[in-house]
Amino acid sequence: MSKPNDLVLGTLDLLLLKILALQPLHGWAIGQRLRSMSGDVLQVSEGSLYPALHKLEQEGWIQAEWKQTENNRRAKFYALTRLGRKQLETETANWERLSAAISQVIRLSEA
Amino acid sequence: MRIEHWWFTAPLRLRSLFRRRQVEQELDEELQFHLEHLVEEGIAQGLAPAEARRRALLAMGGIEQRKEEVRDTRRVSWLTDFVADFRYALRSLRRTPALTGFVVVTLALGIGMTSTPFSMLDGLVFRPYPVPHPRNVVSLVSTSHDNPYDFWSYREYLDLRAQAKSYDGVVAHTTTVPIGFSRARGATPQVRGGMLVSANFFSVLGVEPHVGRGFRADEDVAPGRDAVTVLGPDFWKREFASDPAVVGKKVRVNGTEFTVVGVAPESFPSIQQWQRPDVYLPLAMAHVFSTDPQKSFFADRDDRELLVKARLAPAATLARARTEIAGLARDFARENPALYRDRSAAVRTQREMQTRGDRQEWKFIAIGQLLGLAVLLVACTNVAGLLLSRARTRTREIAIRLALGSGRSRLVRLLLTESLVLAVLGAAGGIAIAYFAIGLINTFQIPTDIPVVPPFQFDLRVLIASLVVASSSALLCGLAPALQSTRGDLVNGLKSSDVDAPGRKRLWGRNALVVAQVATSLMLITACFVMARDFRQAALGTTGFAKDHLLMVRFDSRLVQYDAVRTKEFYDLLERRAAAAAGVTSVALTESPPLSLDAFEALSFVPEGFQMPRDRESFTSAMDTVDEGYFATMGVPILRGRGFLRADTAEAPRVAIVNERLAERYWPGQDAVGKRIRLDHRGGPPVEIVGVARTIKYRAPTERPTDFVYLPLAQHRRERLVLLLRTTGDPLRLADPVRDIARTLAPDMPVVEMRTYENLVRYHTVEGPGIAIQTIGTMGAVGVLLAMAGLYGLVSYNVNRRTRELGIRMAIGAGRGAVLRLVIGKGLCLVLIGTAIGLVLAFGIERVLSTAIFGSGGVDVAVYLVAVPSMLAVTMLAAYVPALRASRIAPTLALRYD
Repeated sequence: MSKPNDLVLGTLDLLLLKILALQPLHGWAIGQRLRSMSGDVLQVSEGSLYPALHKLEQEGWIQAEWKQTENNRRAKFYALTRLGRKQLETETANWERLSAAISQVIRLSEA
Repeated sequence: MRIEHWWFTAPLRLRSLFRRRQVEQELDEELQFHLEHLVEEGIAQGLAPAEARRRALLAMGGIEQRKEEVRDTRRVSWLTDFVADFRYALRSLRRTPALTGFVVVTLALGIGMTSTPFSMLDGLVFRPYPVPHPRNVVSLVSTSHDNPYDFWSYREYLDLRAQAKSYDGVVAHTTTVPIGFSRARGATPQVRGGMLVSANFFSVLGVEPHVGRGFRADEDVAPGRDAVTVLGPDFWKREFASDPAVVGKKVRVNGTEFTVVGVAPESFPSIQQWQRPDVYLPLAMAHVFSTDPQKSFFADRDDRELLVKARLAPAATLARARTEIAGLARDFARENPALYRDRSAAVRTQREMQTRGDRQEWKFIAIGQLLGLAVLLVACTNVAGLLLSRARTRTREIAIRLALGSGRSRLVRLLLTESLVLAVLGAAGGIAIAYFAIGLINTFQIPTDIPVVPPFQFDLRVLIASLVVASSSALLCGLAPALQSTRGDLVNGLKSSDVDAPGRKRLWGRNALVVAQVATSLMLITACFVMARDFRQAALGTTGFAKDHLLMVRFDSRLVQYDAVRTKEFYDLLERRAAAAAGVTSVALTESPPLSLDAFEALSFVPEGFQMPRDRESFTSAMDTVDEGYFATMGVPILRGRGFLRADTAEAPRVAIVNERLAERYWPGQDAVGKRIRLDHRGGPPVEIVGVARTIKYRAPTERPTDFVYLPLAQHRRERLVLLLRTTGDPLRLADPVRDIARTLAPDMPVVEMRTYENLVRYHTVEGPGIAIQTIGTMGAVGVLLAMAGLYGLVSYNVNRRTRELGIRMAIGAGRGAVLRLVIGKGLCLVLIGTAIGLVLAFGIERVLSTAIFGSGGVDVAVYLVAVPSMLAVTMLAAYVPALRASRIAPTLALRYD
């Protein structure tokens, strides 16, 4: 599976869950939101979002629903499930622990 | 958490599997939606629509690849792939119905011929006792010079139970013996199977009665006090229509009233392999049972009638138990040196008991199993060969698949799925064959007094074994072709249709297959010939006595509790009245007539004037107790001396008659008549030998000559006797008159067994061997057919591969004979190698068969003079046909042949 560039391995799931925790979105919008929220730093190549989204769906963390967009087109909207919310909490906690540890190590080596 | 997880995901999986089309459509729509956005974005940036679309597609990295990645996330791809492979396999197999049919039939034969003997071997050797934790249950056996699996006496059992520390419980039981059973006083007793068991029998073995209870510990303490019985499950169903209210009812066993206290569960038909007791009685009720009348069951330490089993304690090991029992045996010998000379004891596992060296059935079936596996091997090699040829014709298809990016493992999976489909079809056929074969074997009647239930069943164990065999043969015959055909290099595969890669290595495997087939089928044929020959000899050979016009009727006066006086009176009158019946020329009484499946009593004796070996106190021989009419009625000639006379009464001097073989062994070159033997031991009562009888066949027509002693009935009274009647007409016409005579003499005396001698002899020489010969013969025939097909396939494959070469040879002047020689030479070479290996195997199997089963020994050249040339002829024919076809092909055609 092609991995999105510039993303720490395994963090894409976390980001997707976080974005969907704010509001249900379709794939295209998720990509846009990811880019704008991270100030263009985080980008995923076009289309590589979908395998990731489908994986989350198969895990039962998000669920999909076909709805009309504001432009009156049919699109698949993803929303967080109860399981997904729990998963987001664990992954967030993990990430914070990990990043705190990494920053600590980096600061140590600079000192 | 897990359950909640499945709650969410299970519907998704199901949806991916069963609403595949909708899922796919949604995926497409979703990706299209994204693509359109990208295109719009491009147009907004000022690109031409076509260019914007092109860039968008590039950015997406290929819609189809994305789809495939998404599909992989669904977690069901292995299944959908398998289903696709399965469908594809079915389709491609249906395209070649002849090949598919041949392969399926071949596999079915191979699997059927493995599963059938397995079900028998399982019943005889592998199936554990039908109790919880059967592995902990061991047998304790008394061992002596002549019998390493001897029984125990009641007193010995009590000592073992009290002194052995390695066990959680020690139980004793008798074999299943005939008893007279009736539901009410006055009704004629029916002959049923009964077993005496210790009170702890059910509890130690862990058998919970289906209704009621097992025996209580105090129920085998006081002899004769507790007349209680537990019924066997089959008997309960047949006799009492599974009525649970049977508990508390009274039934009569051998004339004594018993109270039914329980019914054994269906899961526990018997602790014995072949026989199922209808009633269980506590040991303390032994006096109503058919115990040895010469000895006292409760007092004599050498009245050995009990089998002892014990459940190993969790802390105990087998090794410790063995040391312990050897010590106990030494203690016994210290207390009773006279009784325990030459005697020790051993602990044997169930497996050891079931693979006893002195038993023939399991050896025979083990050989059958090996032969069956040989057939399976031949079948598998054949199928492998066929699939290999088939794979070659698909070289191009496979090359295209590889070129299109299919992984090798994926292709191997596809090809293996094909052989799996074949194996599943073959397994279905094989299971059907085994099912019917086992049914057929179970219809076989064994002439015994209480019905024998063969332990052969088509159960779950056999089914699982068949499936394991089927799937491993799928792997066996599918893997090699799959690996080989996906290995081929792409360029060559795509370029031409069927160019053979250079080198001999590719053919090596196929040649080995043919050699193996020729060898195993030669072995099978030889086995078949040897068995047919030996059984035929047995059937044609003389049994030594006149077996026609002879009826045997067995009675047992213990079943109705007769004392010695009434027993003698009954048999005297019975014999006298039977002799007077119309059509009877002579009558006799005997304890165990020859060739009946009853065991003979063993006699310990010391021949006078014979130098005993230092390590032996006495010799043993099989014996029979007969009356004065026996030798005339059976037609066994007395060679020297005389037969028994009316004058040999209980008060007269003791006499015996021995057979020729025994006389020759102990008094070689002398006349045994007038010599004396002492019964039991050196100081035992002396008995004069008054006659020497011809050695006949005692146990089986295939046996080697064995020692035998006859003692007169008047001097050794017996309760269980067979009335023999020689008749002028059909012996069965006397069945009703004899029954009537017995009924008038003793209304409640059951007829234990009644059959003609011809029926017995037919069982020994026709029906029993018939099954064996048919089984092995079928295996041999199947093996040969398969080997022929394999050889034919190989030679024609070789010919096809070399058609162009042959064309060139013929174009430049090679004659048809030369071509024929060229093509057939290789086949001949393989056949010869196979024959050589097969001969070695065949010698081996002949030796095993001869020594293990027939006791004849030696190699019979005649067998090979038939087997080898017929094998050669058959295999040469298989090679010749395709070779001839090759030599007839026109050179012009062959050159164009692609």
